[in-house]
Amino acid sequence: MAAATCITKDLRVPVLRNVELDRANFLLEFSAPSMIASMRPAQFFMIGIPGGETLLRRPYSVCGLPGTFEDGADGAAQVLYKVVGRGTALLAALKGGTALDVLGPLGNGFVAPASREVRPVLVAGGIGAAPFPALLAALGPAGPPRMFYGARGAADLPLSAWFERRTELTLTTEDGSAGRRGRVSEPLEEFLSASDPRSLHVYACGPEPMLRAVARLASRFAVRTDLALEAHMACGFGVCLGCVVPTRRAGSEFGYDRVCVEGPVMPAETLAW
Amino acid sequence: MVSPDLAVTLGPLALKNPVLAASGTFGYGAEFLPYFDLGAIGGFVTKGLSPAPRRGNPPPRIVETPAGMLNTIGLQNVGVEAFVREKLPALRAYDTAVIANVFGETDAEYVEVCAKLDQAAGVHALELNVSCPNVEEGGMIYGTDPRALERVTRACRRATRLPLIVKLSPNVTDIRVTARAAAAGGADILSLVNTFVGMAVDVERRRPVLTKVSGGLSGPAIRPLAVWMTWQARQAVALPLIGIGGIVEAADALEFFLAGASAVQVGTANFVHPDAAVRVVRGLESYLVRHGIPALRDLVGTLDTGVPA
Repeated sequence: MAAATCITKDLRVPVLRNVELDRANFLLEFSAPSMIASMRPAQFFMIGIPGGETLLRRPYSVCGLPGTFEDGADGAAQVLYKVVGRGTALLAALKGGTALDVLGPLGNGFVAPASREVRPVLVAGGIGAAPFPALLAALGPAGPPRMFYGARGAADLPLSAWFERRTELTLTTEDGSAGRRGRVSEPLEEFLSASDPRSLHVYACGPEPMLRAVARLASRFAVRTDLALEAHMACGFGVCLGCVVPTRRAGSEFGYDRVCVEGPVMPAETLAW
Repeated sequence: MVSPDLAVTLGPLALKNPVLAASGTFGYGAEFLPYFDLGAIGGFVTKGLSPAPRRGNPPPRIVETPAGMLNTIGLQNVGVEAFVREKLPALRAYDTAVIANVFGETDAEYVEVCAKLDQAAGVHALELNVSCPNVEEGGMIYGTDPRALERVTRACRRATRLPLIVKLSPNVTDIRVTARAAAAGGADILSLVNTFVGMAVDVERRRPVLTKVSGGLSGPAIRPLAVWMTWQARQAVALPLIGIGGIVEAADALEFFLAGASAVQVGTANFVHPDAAVRVVRGLESYLVRHGIPALRDLVGTLDTGVPA
């Protein structure tokens, strides 16, 4: 995962596959070899449907890059999404061969742990699992990372079988329909309290309440933690200022940073929630 | 046929082509350098600049609505001094008009920003933002009260020799009244329109979607309203007009030219395609070629309403 200079492109590309994984979770695959050549996990695309009913594009984290999924097409990327509103419902209706407007790569992305002695700890909430396949592929074959993956119920844990084969995985659901009943932060807390924080690097992505809980644990256990944030945004490249979050980073503009440019990955301690 | 002539002259402001990028949708310009040469468009208008930096409103700040979006950014900006010091120098390398959007909470603040920009090399014109719906002070009052508008325009007129554009608010009963007030205050050019005040409600939570309750509506949804207001302003004042409102492609821009605008600004569409303004320029060229019209300026205000003169 060497730092790469990414040239953002705005391309019209074909949908290769758009597969419903379970209840409302889909994996969309499209071909964009020149765009994704140096893309990093947790960077994102702004995806629009040409001539579609929606005006603005929507941000989607890169889920898979060439080599992430065994059945992925050459030069293709995948995004994982859940149908939650009009934009995602329109996306879910797309068939192979349809054209997509894709702008990317955008944002900063995850960086690998500083050394091989540091174990990655992945914390995902529901559709927040999206950036982790690409992260796992980028981390390579060192010992299996620890992963905590929680959601409301069993149907909200897309790709959990895929993660099961590649991580030491703990699943949680609030309704107890899969894994341990409760929130993902509970087993994470137990794990952190039994570990040397200097030997860990936490990567988290999920709904804001989960990220806040992870950030509190990061502070309490002094463990390096990067959060991949999600926000409503109109542009994705820094000009609409719609996606700001309050931060206390030195140099941030009046206490706000843009999720699209300064993020979507931000160190947990910089968030001023 | 030789390539069509897109150059336009708006009073003291000459543009190589009539397509500008609108304030608040184009950052400070440099954000678009990865996507196209800024020299491909006639110019751009900066994010609104205030005397001191402004933090803006708390999120959520934006929401998509049918054929448009609501925003309540609240004029987050670096302030006029940081703009001149940090953003402007790099822009001088580009063959494009840099128009600085000016915001204040009082007459004195507008004058202060205008005076500082007047001294800065590389600013081609000023656009007074008298119509921001998202800040509690200034802004909207100036945009809706013709006496306040005329007064602040006159004060700014005295503070700068640069071409002075006044950006009109659509949130008025009769745009002709404020158009005349800005003209009386000494504006060189009018741009119209800024966003319409609107709101969206989250019915599940029974709360406003945006933290500040209301926001400014932009995008194709407002285009017919903006074209109508441009047409009305054309009847009311002799000043050159810049049409703004939901322009996505060349045909949208042409509506404004025919209704009497000499130039246009592309706004929300910049969020969807970073090179949206360039696409409009190319589309205008092909329209002129297709219709055998040598110069775009020949089209301005030529709408045939079918009513005998």
